[in-house]
Amino acid sequence: MHPRNIRPWLARYGLLLALVGISLALSLAKPGFLTVSNLINVIRQISINGILAVGVTYVLLTGGVDLSLGSLVALSGVAAACWAHPGEYPVVVPVLIGVLAGALCGAANGAVITWGRVAPFIVTLGMMTVARGLALVISGGRPVSNLSRAFTTLGSADLLGIPVPALILAAVALASHLCLRHLRVGRYVYAVGGNEFAARASGINVVGVKLFAYTVCGACAGLAGVVLASRITTGQPNAGLAYELDAIAAVVIGGTSLSGGVGGVGGTLLGALLMGVINNGLDLLNVSSYYQQIVKGLIIVGAVWLDKRSTK
Amino acid sequence: MKPRSKISGTLLALGWAVAVAVAPGCGRPTGTKTAEAGAAPAQRLTIGVSLMNLSNEFIVMLHQAMLARAGELGVALIVTDAQRSAERQVQQVESFIAQRVDAIILNPCEVEASAPAVEKALAAGIPIVNVNSETRTPPTAFIGSRDEESARLAMEYIVQRLGGRGNIVMMHGFMGQAAQIKRDRGAREVLARHPDIKLLADQTAEWDRAKAMSLMENWIQAYGEKLEAVFAHNDEMGMGAVIALEQARLKSKVIVASVDAIADALQAVQDGRLDATVFQDAKGQGGGAVEAAVRLARQETCAKEVFIPFQLVTRTNAGQFLQTVSRP
Amino acid sequence: MGVLESADVVLEVANLGKSFPGVQALAGVFFRLRRGEVHAVVGENGAGKSTFMRLLAGLETPDDGEIRFRGRPVRLRHPHAARQLGVAMIHQELMPFLDLTVAENILMGRERTRGPFGWVDRAAQRREAQRLLRQLDVPVSPDCRMRELGVAEMQAVEIARAIGCRAEVMIMDEPTSALSERETRALFRVMGDLRRQGGAIIYISHRLEEVFELADTVTVLRDGRHVVTGPVTAFSRQSLIESMVGPPKPQIAEPRPRIAGVFGGHGRAAGEPDRAANARPAEDAAALVVRGLSRAGAFADVSFAVHRGEIVGLTGLVGAGRTELAQALFGLVEAEAGEVRVHGVAVRLRSPRQAIDHGIALLTEDRKRDGLVLTMSVMHNLTLSGLDRCSRGGWINGRREEAVADALIADFGVRIAHREQSTGTLSGGNQQKVALGKALLPDPDIVILDEPTRGIDVGAKAEIYGLIRRLAQSGKAILLNSSELPEVLALSDRILVMRQGRLSAALDPRRATPAEILHWAMPE
Repeated sequence: MHPRNIRPWLARYGLLLALVGISLALSLAKPGFLTVSNLINVIRQISINGILAVGVTYVLLTGGVDLSLGSLVALSGVAAACWAHPGEYPVVVPVLIGVLAGALCGAANGAVITWGRVAPFIVTLGMMTVARGLALVISGGRPVSNLSRAFTTLGSADLLGIPVPALILAAVALASHLCLRHLRVGRYVYAVGGNEFAARASGINVVGVKLFAYTVCGACAGLAGVVLASRITTGQPNAGLAYELDAIAAVVIGGTSLSGGVGGVGGTLLGALLMGVINNGLDLLNVSSYYQQIVKGLIIVGAVWLDKRSTK
Repeated sequence: MKPRSKISGTLLALGWAVAVAVAPGCGRPTGTKTAEAGAAPAQRLTIGVSLMNLSNEFIVMLHQAMLARAGELGVALIVTDAQRSAERQVQQVESFIAQRVDAIILNPCEVEASAPAVEKALAAGIPIVNVNSETRTPPTAFIGSRDEESARLAMEYIVQRLGGRGNIVMMHGFMGQAAQIKRDRGAREVLARHPDIKLLADQTAEWDRAKAMSLMENWIQAYGEKLEAVFAHNDEMGMGAVIALEQARLKSKVIVASVDAIADALQAVQDGRLDATVFQDAKGQGGGAVEAAVRLARQETCAKEVFIPFQLVTRTNAGQFLQTVSRP
Repeated sequence: MGVLESADVVLEVANLGKSFPGVQALAGVFFRLRRGEVHAVVGENGAGKSTFMRLLAGLETPDDGEIRFRGRPVRLRHPHAARQLGVAMIHQELMPFLDLTVAENILMGRERTRGPFGWVDRAAQRREAQRLLRQLDVPVSPDCRMRELGVAEMQAVEIARAIGCRAEVMIMDEPTSALSERETRALFRVMGDLRRQGGAIIYISHRLEEVFELADTVTVLRDGRHVVTGPVTAFSRQSLIESMVGPPKPQIAEPRPRIAGVFGGHGRAAGEPDRAANARPAEDAAALVVRGLSRAGAFADVSFAVHRGEIVGLTGLVGAGRTELAQALFGLVEAEAGEVRVHGVAVRLRSPRQAIDHGIALLTEDRKRDGLVLTMSVMHNLTLSGLDRCSRGGWINGRREEAVADALIADFGVRIAHREQSTGTLSGGNQQKVALGKALLPDPDIVILDEPTRGIDVGAKAEIYGLIRRLAQSGKAILLNSSELPEVLALSDRILVMRQGRLSAALDPRRATPAEILHWAMPE
């Protein structure tokens, strides 16, 4: 193929190629990698980061950022756990409470960012500590345990051989993909991120679109918090430390621009998958945790660098 | 406390305004100013306390024990949370010195980095008591345990259960922190004495239950049936390993032991899910530290070092510990 | 060619080529620039002029060919490399540092410093900036922040910056497109000085009058290829346009038969336009009536009316408050006093959404800043303000959207390979057509056009003029805000002149002369 024609092709499928390449290399190095049970293991493990990443995709597409995700995970996990003791409420109650807690915090982020005109970095940084504090207040600093079987099943059960958290991720990703590609509000998310002034001059309610993005992002964090609490069978006030960075990394690896307007959920899923595969592979190979950190960092930067080169 | 905190807590999550209004009434006091006791004499003693991290369950229990003992003794505590930062801890001690407290209780974050806090207090002539862990500079008094010993106890339990031969994996705490270094050291001492115990892999899960779960799942993929035992540096990670093993239906074949004896872990030991944990006496340490601080402030004599021993908790004795740590 | 002659050559280019994914932007270009020469490069939009200039300025690297500077082959991998050789570029789209001062912008990259640590000597910076600005006759304080300046002033600052670099070769890409007549004169004077001092200027402009007035040599590019180079005296206006456009292609004739889509296809009677254009109904029947509209620091006490089928030209100097007025009529900024009536009903315009709902459309002055979302495809831009037309309950119907976009692309003659093409890769003229199509999709009754032909080529201009006329014929009320007098004179039914925020005259284009308009536009 002529190098001129390979570029757009690389831009489109480069990440998939990298994923396949790394997977092949891992399966050569460790035969246990490419087994059905391990692949199911990988998708189970990326579920939480995946849900967060899909949520933060909305925010990054508008050109914003959300640093409060990890704390929202802890807060909603604790809030949900408080309502999930055995024999008290049906399982939908804690789930809804967790999602609602996340969504409200997300909406608060959006409200301050749009009406208060404070930079998203600052607002969500503030929310990061506020939500963490709230999680500690609610739980009194101790994990909330003794959760009902129905609640913990969410995080541990399989449906047709596929882990429930992965199914939740799939549902969230599919809904988000449809929203961003086929709903007006999704189109507006791209427009606001691509050029906020032009979006306004096109009659788009920029404030509404941003509020929508931050609220959806918060709701996803809430859902991730519920899944996490259910998976680890407690509501942990110190869960989710620095989860936002992994989520943002997955989105950016997936080709969504930090300046907004370009990207999508498909890439985000691939990004989360790439990070999950690397994590899993390095554990399987028993690479020292010191080196694991170096390798992960290099891969994040390398993936984005390659992406930039191929789309230039 | 429990139902109240649940309801108020959920309200808190649902709105800022509510949070501000409700928190002082319902939340448990964890802030900087706490602990009054009844009828105070004219010159009531004030003791400054700097805790390593109030979002750690063991430290929370330590804190509660201190409050209870201070209430009994009729002294005031000023409690601060260093949030794992040794630098913040030094600042907190400096401000205690500036306030001229009668004594200081330090729950050090780091062996080396928290040492200046001790030096400054000693230089200012204020007695300082280290609780739970050590600093390079010896304080006026020390109440606590040796972390190495906890790991040794758990590992010896595993060795005994395996009959001196088998494959194990180890989960580290946050790499480079004092507790991780010491528990690693204790575990390796035991390993060195038992060459037939093979350490298949060791990796950090950063004290975190979710990370421990993922790590355990990956190890199950990598080693499968070969796995015979897991040692985790704390109970959170131990519980993560237990859940992952249960979901893979391997728990019956793998022994899991960890350290701290948090409520969740004790319950799991009682239920036969976790095989063993190591009890660290928060009440003994917290109460002992307040007592020592009061004695020193009144210029009475006090033991220079008090080691409160660890105790191994297995299914046979879990019940009695569950009562000790049962929540108020 | 003699030795003496070639010693004069500063810059020489042989067989230069550059391609982008899917497009051969430039191929086989030969070019030679001498000292003391103003060399105009002309061509339609998409002819490759901008690509060529970007190659010379080191903003892109060529795929083929060679660039020789003073006879030595050079590789310009970076703008810095070009600048060190003495090639300065004034961009078509300005790239100033908005939050720095004018002086800091002018001396960016070559700050006056003191001492070994690069301590910036602000007084010296100021003096140097002041000197350059005075030379250009630009009344701007060196201490102003760039953000506070208008487009024309920013452009002048950019030119001052290039002059300050003592560039041997100066590339000017449409430098006068945002300048007033007076500023243009000042620029030409400065260019004359530069030329006398042995500087060489590459001058790109769509304004052929300027080319004939200023240039010594002309090079014509077409479709990325070199067509002809010769002394300007060898061309007539007609012959120059012919070589830009090329041999007549079949079917580019002006009147297009397809008027069904956007142009009055939405229920307006076909016979109506003529009546509306000739008979002048009473003011209260007018589509748009503005009374006493004011906004502090922008415009004051502006009153006028626009009727259906009428084109009202609005002109004046840059900075007279015309753009702010246009924005206020579209809800982008809020007027502080006065009244706007649409079809006789008083309306409040606090956001573009409200304006669109009242049937008002605005083609914004700066299509890159607030006209288009360049990261989105042509189709998505076209449908952006009229998504309600191709969606139900928030769900976009993909087929319907494609049909709507295709109709607009055909109606407005947008030349693209595919409707999914990124808007950022289009030429200025095509971008403008997309912006126009986007603004007109909601089928407005009142269309405000703010500088609709800025920075686009002759051919595209003619097409846009045709579109404007057809819009008026289909019964829309049009307010045409433009700095280009020929444009205003040719298109308008009435001309309003604005001076320092106020309307100073209403003229009849059949009788008005450029001199008369200028008279009313110049500050008293």
